[in-house]
Amino acid sequence: MAVAPDAEKTAGNGQRAPMAITVAGLTKNYGEIEAVRGIDFEVPTGETFGFLGPNGAGKSTTIKILCTLARPTSGTARVAGHDVTTERDRVRRNIGLVFQDTTLDNYLTGAQNLRFHAELYGVPAAAVAPRMQQVMEMVGLWDRRDAPARTFSKGMRQRLAIARALIHDPPVLFLDEPTANLDPEGARTVRDFLLELRRERRTILLSTHLLDEADRICDRVGVLHTRLLAAGPPSELRAGRPGHVTRVQLAELTDAVVTAARAVAAGPVEVTSGATSSATGGPAGGTVAVPVGDPGRDNPALVAAIVAAGGRIRFVTEATTSLEEAYLTLLGGAGSTEPRVTQLEGTQLEGTKPGGPQ
Amino acid sequence: MSARNVATIAAKDLRITITKRSARLSLVIFPLVIAIGPPLLARFTGAGHQGVPAVLLPRVLDAFTFYFVIIAALLPTAIASYSLVGEKIERSLEPLLATPVTDGEVLAGKGLAAFLPPIAAVWAASVLFMALCDELTRGELGRLYFPNATAMLIVGLVAPLAAVFGVEYSVLISSRLSDVRPVHQLATLSVLPFAGVYVAAQIGAVTLDRPTLAVIAGALAVLDVLLFAAARATFRREEILIRWT
Repeated sequence: MAVAPDAEKTAGNGQRAPMAITVAGLTKNYGEIEAVRGIDFEVPTGETFGFLGPNGAGKSTTIKILCTLARPTSGTARVAGHDVTTERDRVRRNIGLVFQDTTLDNYLTGAQNLRFHAELYGVPAAAVAPRMQQVMEMVGLWDRRDAPARTFSKGMRQRLAIARALIHDPPVLFLDEPTANLDPEGARTVRDFLLELRRERRTILLSTHLLDEADRICDRVGVLHTRLLAAGPPSELRAGRPGHVTRVQLAELTDAVVTAARAVAAGPVEVTSGATSSATGGPAGGTVAVPVGDPGRDNPALVAAIVAAGGRIRFVTEATTSLEEAYLTLLGGAGSTEPRVTQLEGTQLEGTKPGGPQ
Repeated sequence: MSARNVATIAAKDLRITITKRSARLSLVIFPLVIAIGPPLLARFTGAGHQGVPAVLLPRVLDAFTFYFVIIAALLPTAIASYSLVGEKIERSLEPLLATPVTDGEVLAGKGLAAFLPPIAAVWAASVLFMALCDELTRGELGRLYFPNATAMLIVGLVAPLAAVFGVEYSVLISSRLSDVRPVHQLATLSVLPFAGVYVAAQIGAVTLDRPTLAVIAGALAVLDVLLFAAARATFRREEILIRWT
């Protein structure tokens, strides 16, 4: 079933947000190799969507298809309302693309690199210079505009690549692991630019295998492992982990307290010993992380049991699940080749369509 | 096809060619050797350095002029090889192919950039060659041999068509291979047909007169059109960017 070109989705405020990217049943095979298998997802206009997945998961292939650099084996995809197979030129006019590796013309200066692309994208001649200054100032390279790109550091080159991708002011921006080859400082600078672009409400599709990056930058993330395993806001992805965990921080960690916690727990209790208080020389504190079936019902019982066992409670908090934990759970554990498929709210899994049979 | 896009791509590639020292040197040294060496040979060869006898000079000078066809086919191969495979290796081809330009515009722009510097070098060298020949042979011939219609036909028509052939042949190979060196090595084979014509002329199998040159030019023009169509048909963005072996 093809998705309508003007596909829309009800946003949180009840408005109908137009879809910047619509993908339905997308599959890509390279000979015997299955790179992408029947993925479906949508990205509303103005959203920053992150593609998470290990190397070889199909992230770059999907981006190449959406950018018209590769043709799908089957399925459909529309970007900015245009079909990536039959309206390639229109798609190209509406997208900016930042690659993982440096893809600049190293023999050209920063300004020449940008001017070249501005002309190919049909930016009016009178608008090229001011637009060039605007994007180069944004990435902090205006002072280096006349220096050859080969004299730039990796971080500077990637910033210039972002400026190049923005020179024609595209509504949709694709970034394929833009920080993968950068040092921490360079990566942080690029992330700051991405956050700035996100604030502009430009539609961004960011591919990364850095979970923290996706967590910080993206409105929603999709976990890809040939198939799309899950998609949703990072908070939903974390919540998608089965069960709840209550973390109890104690002034003194004793065997009796641990036994009391285990009696209430719905699963294995994680015990973490703290250091002996240097000020008082008193006993070591610690933390117990206790899986509970129903927090409303089990937490009062847990606290009562610990207090009854002589425990002195400092704090009771809900243990947060990191995106990394959620990600590894989805992939069936680190190093696993057989990912576990999890259905999250608002997610279509393989072979399903919006509103279609599940 | 947008002339503006073709000109933009060509201007960018020309700028890169001019920036690279090795490209500049190859564009100067080869034509210079051909411009200076053969006239000296014509004047000082033979016993007692008497030079080529007057009766043979016209045929010899026409044959030397045909060298410019050979280097016209050879010189663009290095530039054309780099413009696709080199850029593919340096990853600067991907963003170009992601822009809204057609395959024909990419090929025409890159082809133009690979054609213009060599043909300019060939023409400049041919002017030097003809001036030197005239200076060194007018005593023997009793007249200035150049310029003449045959030389104009060779340098003005056959050499550019040979250069286009060299460019298109290189582009055709470039879109199928992934390493600059073998591409350049294979591309240099584009001189073989012209070297063959030269050898045939030397052994008397053909005469490089105006009718023969017109036939060669006509055949080259047809071949150039066919090669462009073939290059365009085999230029597939996806295959160039993603190769799974």
